[in-house]
Amino acid sequence: MIEFHLTVLAIVVSFGFVFSYLAMKEHDLLKALALSSVQSTFFALGFYVLAAPDIVLAYLAIAVGAYTALMILAISKTERFEVGK
Amino acid sequence: MGARRDVVVALLLLMAMAVLSYSAVASGFASGSLRPLGAEYLERAASTPEVVTAIVWNYRGFDTLFETFVFFLAIAGTLSVLRLSSRQEREVRRNEEREPHRKMDEIVRVITKLVVVAIVAVSASIAIHGQLTPGGGFQAGSAMAVASLLLFVVFSKFVLERSGLTLRHTLTAYAAGLAVILVTVFLPVLMGGHLLQIDLLPGESGLLSLDVGEYTAVTFGFLSVFLVLGISEWIFKGVLREEVK
Repeated sequence: MIEFHLTVLAIVVSFGFVFSYLAMKEHDLLKALALSSVQSTFFALGFYVLAAPDIVLAYLAIAVGAYTALMILAISKTERFEVGK
Repeated sequence: MGARRDVVVALLLLMAMAVLSYSAVASGFASGSLRPLGAEYLERAASTPEVVTAIVWNYRGFDTLFETFVFFLAIAGTLSVLRLSSRQEREVRRNEEREPHRKMDEIVRVITKLVVVAIVAVSASIAIHGQLTPGGGFQAGSAMAVASLLLFVVFSKFVLERSGLTLRHTLTAYAAGLAVILVTVFLPVLMGGHLLQIDLLPGESGLLSLDVGEYTAVTFGFLSVFLVLGISEWIFKGVLREEVK
C-alpha cells in the first residue's frame, strides 16, 4: 500500500508547488498570501499522508492562521501591489 | 486571463479533493498495526498510550522545554522593543478612544462567532487529550491563537480589551502557564528523581499539566504579541516622538 501513499503524497506536494509558483508570480500581495496559504494547506495534507498528525495540527494553525495574519499586518504597513519587473 | 486561471485553479482543487477522498475511502491512511519502534517507546514510556507524546516528553523532553524558552525569548524581545511605560499606555488608550469605530459586516461577525466557538472547543480538546491523541500544548495553543486573531480582525482589539484581555492580564496568564511548566519540570527533583522525570508523578498528571501549561503559555503569549502589534501605527509613532523629545 506504500506506493499508493507515495502517489497521493506526490500529487499533494505537486499542487503545493503549483500554488507556491502562482504565489510568486502574483503582483497583488494579498492574493499572493491567499495562494501561499492554499499551498500550506496542501503541504499539511502531505504531512498527514506521511502519518505526522502532530505536525499537521501545528502547521495548519501557524502557516494558514498566524503567518497569514502577521503578513497581512506587514502588508498593511506597506503597499498592496508589487510594482516594477 | 484572470477567468481562465480561476477555472484552472478550481479544476485543480476539485481533482485534488477527488483523489484525496477516494484515497481516504479506499485505503484509510492509518495502518492497523504498531511498528516495532513505536512499541518499544511505548513500553518504556510513562503512562501514555500515544507514541509521539511518549517520544516528545519522555525522550526529548528537554527539546520541548528549550522550544518553550525560545518562544519566551521571542515574546520577551517583542515586548521589550515595543514597550510602553504606564504613562504612554494611558496616552495610547486616550488616542485609541478617539479612533473611528469600524464594524465588519453582520454575516462575517456571526460566522466568526460560530467558528471561534468551534476553534476554542477543538483546541481545548487537542490540549487536554494531548497525552492520548496526536497533538499537545503547542498545537492547541497555536490553534487558539488563530481564534483570538479572528476576533481581533473581525471585532477589533478593543472588544478583547473591554472583555478583560488587556496586555497586563494576558501577560499574567502567560507567566502562569510558564510557572505550571516549570513546577512540573522541577517537581520530580523534589521527589528524588531527575529533571523532567515525569513518570514519578501520579498517573498521567505530569503530561497533562505540561500540555495545559504549554497551551496557556502559547495562547496568551501569541495574544500579548498581537495586542502590542495591534496598536495603530500613527498612535505608536506619536508616542515614540514624544519619547525622543
